[in-house]
Amino acid sequence: MSETLPVTTASPGRPAGPPARLRARAALSAEWIKLRSLRSMLVTPALAAVFCIGLGSAVCSNYVHSWPAASAATKAAFDPLDTNLNFLVIGVLFFGVLGALVVTNEYGHGLIAATLAATPQRGLILAAKTALLTLFALVLSTVIISAVFLSGEGILAGGHLPHVTLAGPGVPGRVLGAICYLTAASLIGLFIGVIARSGAVAMTSVLGVFLVLGTLLDNLPHSDVWRHTVPYVPSNLGDALWLSHPGTSSLASPAVAAAGLAAWVFVLGAAAACSLRLRDA
Amino acid sequence: MSAPARTASRTGASLETRFRATARSEWVKFRSVRSGPAVLLSTAVVLLAGAWLICHGYRDGWATMSPAGRASFDPVFMSLRAIEGAQLFVGALGVITVTGEYTSGLIRGTFIATPQRAQVIALKAVIFAAVVWAWCTLLSFAAFFLGQAALSSPAKHVAIGAPGVLTAVFGGGLYLTAVGLLGLFTGVLLRRTTGALAALFGILLVLPEALGLLPGTLSQHLAEFLPDNGGEEIFHLLHGGLHGGEYTLGPWPGFAVDAAWVAAAAAAAFVLVRRRDA
Repeated sequence: MSETLPVTTASPGRPAGPPARLRARAALSAEWIKLRSLRSMLVTPALAAVFCIGLGSAVCSNYVHSWPAASAATKAAFDPLDTNLNFLVIGVLFFGVLGALVVTNEYGHGLIAATLAATPQRGLILAAKTALLTLFALVLSTVIISAVFLSGEGILAGGHLPHVTLAGPGVPGRVLGAICYLTAASLIGLFIGVIARSGAVAMTSVLGVFLVLGTLLDNLPHSDVWRHTVPYVPSNLGDALWLSHPGTSSLASPAVAAAGLAAWVFVLGAAAACSLRLRDA
Repeated sequence: MSAPARTASRTGASLETRFRATARSEWVKFRSVRSGPAVLLSTAVVLLAGAWLICHGYRDGWATMSPAGRASFDPVFMSLRAIEGAQLFVGALGVITVTGEYTSGLIRGTFIATPQRAQVIALKAVIFAAVVWAWCTLLSFAAFFLGQAALSSPAKHVAIGAPGVLTAVFGGGLYLTAVGLLGLFTGVLLRRTTGALAALFGILLVLPEALGLLPGTLSQHLAEFLPDNGGEEIFHLLHGGLHGGEYTLGPWPGFAVDAAWVAAAAAAAFVLVRRRDA
């Protein structure tokens, strides 16, 4: 058959569809339309921006107010960038939920049935969603982190507290780390959403992974088992990317943290791809 | 057109019959929440596995802990600490018990069948609370015994008969029930799963975390009047100074803060459910 019909590059007996390039472009534009028409794609980023910038600035101005009364130990332990960025503990939740909503809204409205019928290449759908969300989260996190950095360091400088600029040693790396952490969190949220297929389950899981797990495990005594497991939980890997590493730090090194976080994203992405291909809508 | 028939048609069924009918229909709906059994099972797994893991962690690391750390170590709280994770499940169950009915449109049938909307919400809450309380109290006791078994000597552990312990273990079940009810009433208020979950977890988890980032005593005092921090005091054995001054209200006043939040949400839900469209 393939000799008489050279067009049929796909499996025999099945007509070949459009070339892969066109299909990818179609999938991308379809996902883009869905992404920008989601109401939660306006509400969640707006809430995230207001909350993160507000909290980041509030924390810094609070330190300015309490600085004269602070003890010498507090002053010695003060790290301007840690203080400036510690809103990330909460900010990451917005990004995780944002990622989850991209796909669970589609399941909630039943649109997913049409999506899968229009593009039976389910892996392609997930790839297109991942690519667009990565781009979206990168832009959003860059905007938020830059705004918090400028306002927070400005407040610290205005109060004559120690502060840093982007040219400071190690500062660009940690700011970049914060941006990567937020982007990775949105991807983890997306993959959890694909696996969960329900907004309630996905949101609960995102909060469990990024907030509650750390709360429960971080303060346990640092035994050998702890040192080999707890620092590799996603939230602790992410924190290792932007926190300063004092001598007593039990966090993974930034390089290990970056690799570990990428591994989480990759493994969850593979699991999401499998579950999307194997299960019903 | 005889007089008795007219009175009968005007008053409808007797109050008792109506309550029994509503209770029965609410029970069927609660029983058939599709994710219900899975959520309750996850609650059990998180509570028991958490108690075992956390208490084992402290037992293994006991030798490395400072004297101050040992003095402020609360064996009851640590065996029940997984409640902080389990509350996600119970709260979400409370939310979807209501919002599931709104998103599927079933709520319209419910309100046509029983126009007494307050009665519907009240019985829904009662049935939810009864089931969740019974299950979570059972789990709270199981987690306590599992945790104390894991915390063998030299780590600090307590018997169930020690002063204050029984209150704390019962309090674990009460706290989870309060979280579930807060979720249920938030669901009535917002009617959408995503929005209600975001609001519930925002108040329960994000707000205390945000206040914790701010230095100073004002934010600490404010944090104690949030449902999470206030309510958690009921399953602490140690209060006040021993805990770094973080928990100062005490078990029952702390739980009263939590209950006040639930009552406020309930009041708003009862007012709004009668005024708004389904």
